[in-house]
Amino acid sequence: MSKIIAVHSYKGGTGKTLLSVNLATIFAMRGKKVCLFDLDFRAPSLFSILKVENPECWLNDYLNGTCDINKVLVDFSGKIHGNGKLFIGLANPATEAIRDMSAKDRKWEMRALGRLLSLRNLLLNDREFDYLIFDTSPGLQYSSINAIVTADFVVVATTGDRSDVDGTRRMLRELYNLFEKKTGLVLNKVLDSASKSKKEEMNSKVNTIYQVPMLGLVPCFCEILRAEGNLIFVQDRPDHPFTKILDEMAKKIENNDVN
Amino acid sequence: MVVDVTNNYQCFVRLNKPIIITSTVHAKNTRGKLVTKEEVLGKKPLYVLEKIRENLERLNEKMEVMIELQKHGRKDIQPLPDSSLDVMTLLSMPDHLRKTAMSICRCGRATAEEISQQTTRARAVESAYLNQLVIMGYLKKERKGRKAYFFADRESQG
Repeated sequence: MSKIIAVHSYKGGTGKTLLSVNLATIFAMRGKKVCLFDLDFRAPSLFSILKVENPECWLNDYLNGTCDINKVLVDFSGKIHGNGKLFIGLANPATEAIRDMSAKDRKWEMRALGRLLSLRNLLLNDREFDYLIFDTSPGLQYSSINAIVTADFVVVATTGDRSDVDGTRRMLRELYNLFEKKTGLVLNKVLDSASKSKKEEMNSKVNTIYQVPMLGLVPCFCEILRAEGNLIFVQDRPDHPFTKILDEMAKKIENNDVN
Repeated sequence: MVVDVTNNYQCFVRLNKPIIITSTVHAKNTRGKLVTKEEVLGKKPLYVLEKIRENLERLNEKMEVMIELQKHGRKDIQPLPDSSLDVMTLLSMPDHLRKTAMSICRCGRATAEEISQQTTRARAVESAYLNQLVIMGYLKKERKGRKAYFFADRESQG
């Protein structure tokens, strides 16, 4: 069963954060104990989307080895419907912190990998979390590859953009496959995907181009754009088609049904 | 002075008891009289045997590395001046070594036997790959009794 999930993409703007936040929320709404981490140290966004300010420690501090992981976690469960638990680990959005994270050397990254790997014991085993979800930065960044190596399952977000298709295909071959990672592809911002025949066509296209299982196909919803990142869609719009798609994705991951 | 000395080593083994080794020395003294001296050597010879066995195991590991060197060619395992087992290094490794290195990253510290259980490859094969990674400077090796533990030394670097 996949316990640590990394949400990654080749390019930016593919909807990684939207998928991460909503997947984490939907798992929590189903009664699971979930922790969502912002591993996009170059462009942190969770603090702003979830409106959490000044945690005791940032995820940067944990990776620097200057604080305990328990001081990083912010309990967000009070804002989630249902009896599940949602905790957040935030990346520091200060310019100085972003600059500092961009200048880390290979040895620091090696230690950071060790600290990410130890989260399996610290959080899954000791604190009995059901899922850890990593929202990563796009492309071949150190922090993203560290997250991929740590994860059991990688949700790969992509769009129909030509350069994104080529880059994602290359990453599947030269990154996820080399690390023998289980992957599921989410094709986001799909136009005219309402009809069944169009969905089947997209499914077969994904199978031919990427040769990996399709986790979900997300149409381009104007409502998501209009929300301007102010809503947790699966909670605030339970009847919206996006919520149903995310629910299906969560079920597939939960049942290990990504084939 | 002593003219002639002969040594007889005797080993007594009793069921469920530790091995006791005694040494009997027959010698003639200056007057030509035969003198016999028996000494219980205790566990010291066992310690020596244990050391011999450990050395044989090390030799075995070195031979496994040499076999692997011949199989894959030396180019894969040149030691680097500043080796760190980060993800970019993992990506650039040959497939057979990456699998072993990834397992060590996950375990933190493990024996060849433990790694072989994860990778489902033979223990001897994993032992050879782990030793290659030690030679390349990516892993450290530490002996504790009969077991050899491998680990990526993250804390002492940088």
